Formats: sequence, C-alpha cells, structure tokens
Amino acid sequence: MSAITCSHVEKSYGATTVIRDLNLAIEEHEFVVFLGPSGCGKSTLLRMLAGLEDISGGEVSIGGKVVNDLDPGDRGIAMVFQNYALYPHMTIFDNIAFGLKRQKVPKTEIQKRVEAVSKTLGLDPYLGRRPAELSGGQQQRVAIARAMIKTPKVFLFDEPLSNLDAKLRNHMRIEIARLHQSLKTTTVYVTHDQLEAMTLADRIVLLRDGRIEQIGSPAEIYERPANLFVAGFIGTPNMNFIDVTVGRKGNGWTLTSAGTVFTIDGSRFKLQHGERAVLGIRPPDLKTAGSNADSLLEGTADLIEFHGNDALVIFGSGGKEISALVPTRECPAINSHVRYAIDEQSLHLFDAKSGVSLLRQSL
Amino acid sequence: MPRRSSLPVTFVVPTLIILLILSMVPTVYAVVIALQNRELSSTAYSYVWFSNFVDLFFDRRFLNAVWVSVKWEVVTVVATMAVAIGLGVLMFEVASPRLRNIYCLLFIIPVLLPRVSAAFVWKFAYHPLYGIATYPYRLLTGGLIFDPLSKPATALFAVASVDVWQWGLFFAVIVLKLLETLPPQPIEAARLDHARRWQIHAYVTLPMLKAPLISLMFVKMIESLRSFDLIYVMTRGGPGVATETLDMYAFSQGFIESGKVSYASAMAVLMMIATVITFTMLWKRVQA
Ligand SMILES: Nc1ncnc2c1ncn2[C@@H]1O[C@H](COP(=O)(O)OP(=O)(O)OP(=O)(O)O)[C@@H](O)[C@H]1O
Ligand SMILES: [Mg+2]
Repeated sequence: MSAITCSHVEKSYGATTVIRDLNLAIEEHEFVVFLGPSGCGKSTLLRMLAGLEDISGGEVSIGGKVVNDLDPGDRGIAMVFQNYALYPHMTIFDNIAFGLKRQKVPKTEIQKRVEAVSKTLGLDPYLGRRPAELSGGQQQRVAIARAMIKTPKVFLFDEPLSNLDAKLRNHMRIEIARLHQSLKTTTVYVTHDQLEAMTLADRIVLLRDGRIEQIGSPAEIYERPANLFVAGFIGTPNMNFIDVTVGRKGNGWTLTSAGTVFTIDGSRFKLQHGERAVLGIRPPDLKTAGSNADSLLEGTADLIEFHGNDALVIFGSGGKEISALVPTRECPAINSHVRYAIDEQSLHLFDAKSGVSLLRQSL
Repeated sequence: MPRRSSLPVTFVVPTLIILLILSMVPTVYAVVIALQNRELSSTAYSYVWFSNFVDLFFDRRFLNAVWVSVKWEVVTVVATMAVAIGLGVLMFEVASPRLRNIYCLLFIIPVLLPRVSAAFVWKFAYHPLYGIATYPYRLLTGGLIFDPLSKPATALFAVASVDVWQWGLFFAVIVLKLLETLPPQPIEAARLDHARRWQIHAYVTLPMLKAPLISLMFVKMIESLRSFDLIYVMTRGGPGVATETLDMYAFSQGFIESGKVSYASAMAVLMMIATVITFTMLWKRVQA
C-alpha cells in the first residue's frame, strides 16, 4: 500500500540540474536511508517526495498512486525537519494536535491520540509548554510525535538528529529504530552520518551529484562497494587506495605498485593482463604481519591516533599515506618500521579509468 | 567596584533637561489655562477651576466630538490593519519576488505624499461632478450625483479611506517584509499538516508575527490621533459636525468660532488624560 516509486525523476532550478533521471523503488515497511555528501540532492529528493518541491520531470508514486500534482497534505506522508520546525507560538499539545484539528478530528479523539503518542515518546510532562521551553532532544521528539500522530503511510526524516549532541543522537537513533520496529511504517531517512545510515537502514541509497551511485543493504555497500566513490565514502577510517598494474603470473595474478608486488589468486575479480587498477583496502583489514609473509605493506609509522580499543597507524609506503587500524596492544612505537599483511578476501579492486569495481557480479 | 565614567551623564542630562522643559512647560501651561476663563477677545481672566470641565459634559457638540473621535480611531485602525494584513498576505501568496518589489515601491508612494497634498488630491477625486472616485457611480447611474464628503453618513468613511490609502498600503509592505523574514519550515510543516493556504496564515504565520503586528497597530493608533490636517482640508469637520473630531472642535472653539481658549484647553487636557490612560492600559494588557 505504501511503496514508493520514482521513475525518471528530475529536478532542476533554472539551468542547474540537481536530480538527474533517478529511478528508485522503495518497498512497503522498508527503512531506506539517503546518504551522500553535502549538496548531492538528498534533501531535494526527499522534499519532492513530500510535495514541498515541484517535480521537474518523471513520476513519483506513493502506494501505487501518482502524486506529482498532489498537495503535501494529501500524500499520506509526515515529515520531520532538521531544525524541528515546530510552531513556536503553540503549546506542545497544540503542536502535536495541529494536523488532526485541520482534519476536523473530534476533540475527544484528538485528546486520546495526543495522550497516547506523548506517552510513547515520554512527552506527557511537557504538553503545556512552548517549544522554546524544551531542550533540543525534547523538541525533536515533539516533531516526531507530530509526524506519528497522523499515522502516515510514509515517514520522511531530513537529518533529524544533526542538531543534537553525540550522546543524544545515539539515544534518539535507537528510539527511531524502535519506533520503526513497532510501527513498520515505510520510512525515508536523509543523513550524511554513516553510522546512522548503517545502523538504521534496511537499504542505503548512496547519492552523488543527483545520481544514485549504489543501492544496497548496509553490509552490501560496505563489503561490495560498486565503485571508487562509494568505497571512499563509506567506512571510517577511510579506505586506502593504491594504484597498481595488473599482471598475469602462473595461475594467479600480480598487482604491482610503486615498490611493492602483491601476489593474489584473483578468482574473485575480472582481471586483464596489463590493466591499470586501484587497489582498495580498509584500515581494519590490514593485519600486523610476521617477518616471512608476502603481500606486504610496509613503511615507517609517522602518526598514531589512539581510538580506545584500536589505534590508527599512519605510515608512508611507496609515496602514499596508508592507514591501518590495529588493536591497541599491537600498536607499534612511533617512527618504528611497520609491516602489514593484506588478506586477499578483503581486497577491493577498481578499474583505474572508470572507477567501477572489478569484482565478479556472481559473487 | 569599577569607577563609572561620568561621561554618559554629562552628555545625556542637558538634552533630557531641554526635552523635559520643551514637553512639560506647554503641558503644564495648558492645564493652568484650562482652569481659567481666558478668551481671545479680552485680556482679563480669573480662575474658574473645574467649571470648564463641568460645562464640557453638558456640551452636546463636545459629546458628539468624542463619539466621532472614537469612531475615527476604530475605523482607521481596523481598516488599516485589515488592508495591511490582507494585501501583505496576498502579495506573499501570489506575487513573484520581482512583482513584489514593484508593488512595494508603488505602495510606499502614498505615505510619502504630504498629508495636505493627499487630502487635496482625494478631495478632488471625491468631487461629485469631476472626481475620478465618483466616476464609476456617475457612469453606472447615468449621471446621478454622489457626493460622499457632504453626506453625514459617508463623510467620515470617505476621509478615513484617504488615511487607509496612505497607511494601509504602507503597512502592507511592512507585513510582506515581516512574512518574508519568517523561517519557511513551520509553513511547510503546516502544509504537511493539512492546513489550507489561509489557515497557514491564520494559525501559523500571523500568530508568529503577533508582537510586530501589535506594535504596528500601536503606531497606527497614535498616528490616527493626528488626523487634524486631513480632516481640516477635506471637510473642516462637516457636514455639520459629522466629522468633527475632538481636535477639530477644540480648534474651532479656541480660534475660529468663539475664541474660548480656556474651554479649548480643557478639552485638550481631557484628551491627553484619556489618551494616556487608554494607551497605558492597552500596553499593559498586551504585555501580559
Ligand atoms: N532553490 C534553489 N535554487 C538553486 N539551487 C538549489 C536550490 N535549492 C538547492 N539547490 C542546489 O541543489 C543541490 C542539492 O541541494 P540539497 O539541499 O538537496 O542538498 P543535500 O544533499 O540535502 O545537502 P546537505 O547534506 O548539505 O543538506 C545543491 O547543490 C544546492 O546548491
Ligand atoms: Mg539537506
């Protein structure tokens, strides 16, 4: 009933095109996160779903019904804004009840529903106050309550947690996840915070410059990034990239970079002799190596960041800065020589020109 | 405790003293005169204390003037605010940014016109035979005469329309600018909350602008008290006493008809007291 489909959706402001030929199908009950760098069009896309922004081309349908020309109020959606957008002159009760009053819901029912929703979100002590008398987290909960009470077909969130401090953000993230578990309402959630995206999403839609770079579950996107951009965008600390030349050697392959030769089996990848490629390896996948291992990255540790359980070791190798995330107890001394082994299973290879992953599709 | 500089005091005190003298001396003098029986026709006078005030309450022309003043105040303030809010919201809803700028420019022109000029322009516009404002009536009725300024029933409204033309349009520009300063998100939230266009303004934007709108209303209330020039040029208080406000009546009692300066002063003093009390009460209520 509440699936969302975008087909060939476009958005332009005058001469500048913000969203280009975007196709996307969101299933009922799904929690989809739009993720991407600042200015990539996440908010614009969300606002087009909400009806707050005209659709320049293509079609958006919600629950099987084309909504291009429907008013925001008639689309069966509810939205939570980044800066809460509460009505500053109304009490919390009136803020939550406003939508129901406009729909001429009977007074007694409004009372009942507001009480129920505010109980769920722990807002009952504040119903008589005004938004300015609440903390940021409480205001955000009011915004969520105002969205919830309309029992919408679709929830839209535009960076709802980015104005909160780290601790509250974690707390609210869990509340939102719990809410989705109990209500099962189709949800589209915009963020540029990877952690939020990874923890909340059923599927992540990764956008860049108004185009979809990859759609997939958090695990898929993390483990099988479709291209260099996705690989570099997802994962903290960032993936290491090393330019290599592919060579055939017996039954396996070699990857030659400035100074190092990696020998791999290569069956996971579509490779060609003499091809230029980019090797990607995530810092946690670099393992401290014994003295006789091969496929090594080595250099002098010139910076060490302490992260708690882990430490990030940054060293120069072949003229590139490489970082490795190692357990703190294996942390080397600064300026010492470090050697890290690469596990072939955690390697990523991308075509140097197009940036597309060289991973075999069937895998 | 740091030593405070005496510089601010040095600069502010002389100015304050001058202001105090300038405002208090005439006021006190007016009160004194109101307690006497001065007339322009003779130099002799004596103190009659409150007899001028007592006389006023039996003066039917004075009571009429009070009623006209109240009517004037209510009509001009309400109409100005209604026009300002109506036009401001309308411009906000339908006009493109470019068009808005053009309207704003046009709407500011009337208030830049000196009052007396505006009054003359409209006096001619309301001319029963040649006026542009009465032209549609002549056209529709095949040349019947309609003279709004000389009919007791319409004169006040005709004069008030000039006041509203000047201030309502100007305030519409201010209301538009106020609306433009509002954050867009609550308006968008209201659209998602099933509010119609007019409901968004009635329930969200205008309540958010309550404080500045009330200030605007106060400005207009004070401005409406100073309508002497407009009424003087357009009707001189006529026809009969239909547009004779308190200041018009005081003026004619003091200088035109009978030269009863003390009697006029008594009126002025009453007006001052009434105004101060009314505004203080309103201000208190609004603050609460
Ligand atoms: N009214 C407008 N006129 C012209 N360009 C606009 C307008 N609104 C947005 N844009 C452009 O559209 C692009 C996408 O904006 P959008 O707000 O969707 O970004 P975003 O992905 O939400 O970024 P952020 O993470 O910073 O919120 C931006 O490059 C922006 O400059
Ligand atoms: Mg945004």
